[in-house]
Amino acid sequence: MKRYEVLKLLAASIAEDTIVVGNVGPISREWSTVRPSDANLLQVNLGLCSAVGLGLARALPHRKIVLLDGDGNLLMNLASLADAANQAPPNIVHIVLDNGAYEGGGGLPSVTSLKTSLGEIARGAGIERSSTVDALEDFDVAAREALGAPGHWFIAAKVETGSVPDLPTQTMDGPEAKYRFARYVERTEGIQILRPRYTHI
Amino acid sequence: MQKEAVDAVVGGLTTAGVNFISLLPDSDFSQLQRRVGNDPAFEYVPVSTESIGVGVCAGAWFGGKLPALLIPTSGLLVASWPLTSINMAWGVPLLLLIPYRGDIGDAFWMMGPYKQTTEPLLNVLQIPHTVISKVEEISGAIVDAFGSAISWQRPVAVLLTGETIK
Repeated sequence: MKRYEVLKLLAASIAEDTIVVGNVGPISREWSTVRPSDANLLQVNLGLCSAVGLGLARALPHRKIVLLDGDGNLLMNLASLADAANQAPPNIVHIVLDNGAYEGGGGLPSVTSLKTSLGEIARGAGIERSSTVDALEDFDVAAREALGAPGHWFIAAKVETGSVPDLPTQTMDGPEAKYRFARYVERTEGIQILRPRYTHI
Repeated sequence: MQKEAVDAVVGGLTTAGVNFISLLPDSDFSQLQRRVGNDPAFEYVPVSTESIGVGVCAGAWFGGKLPALLIPTSGLLVASWPLTSINMAWGVPLLLLIPYRGDIGDAFWMMGPYKQTTEPLLNVLQIPHTVISKVEEISGAIVDAFGSAISWQRPVAVLLTGETIK
């Protein structure tokens, strides 16, 4: 299945207020096309998507946090699966768009194209609700189940390499993305995040 | 680390408003880490590498928490990539609390290299830092560093040396 089709399917079933953390590369470009939203925190750099998502999940346990990860990205910090699993978050849906390649880095294969199964690793790390899917209809069922129930969910979606032509270029850099996302959380949670004059002390 | 120093660190973190702590277990901070792990004033997330801790703290800040990361001296080297790619690139605040192994007076050969890496690396990463060697200076230094980190939206480090980590 195509990653873009998977993301379109997900965008159709995700709630407006669901926070999505996406890793840098084609996943973020495609996701911001199918679901443009201030609830997206995209272009998180290599190996850090699940760590940032865990911090958000702990800070906002009543909000669903969806992580859009890549196989190479997650492989860089596999221990983050174990760290997250042992926190038993009630609100993480961790989706890995596993194309078995470092597509954003030139296309060389990753180890998931060989012997390694991220779904099995996630289960071994302690994420019991772990599945691997390779068909759109199976992904749809798995995603809807995860989005509709509490818990820590992991879905390895086996996708083909390749994106779609003529995707819009991402024009937001990190600082702008930070302000937009932080202001969104402030607005929807009624809390203060940005404190240019820290008045606690 | 003596109890007085642990008390001073916890007092500083509390006064500063820190309410979220991530850490990698470390012998120099073990008493402190047990203490904050059992203190309901802090949300507590232990991690397996310092790089994950940086990411967890960044996510917690985006969710409204006020985070600090307690890491070993060597861990600063591991954390340098996420500190660069998240905190520096995006402008995300973080208090780094680090035992300054390898400072003058540390008579263990294995710690020697950290004199050559710790402060130079903080300077390269443009992370403002203060070096504290007296227990009575700990709390104020943490409060000042945290206020600066949050308002400047960048990491600030407190290095503990001398009697503070004996």
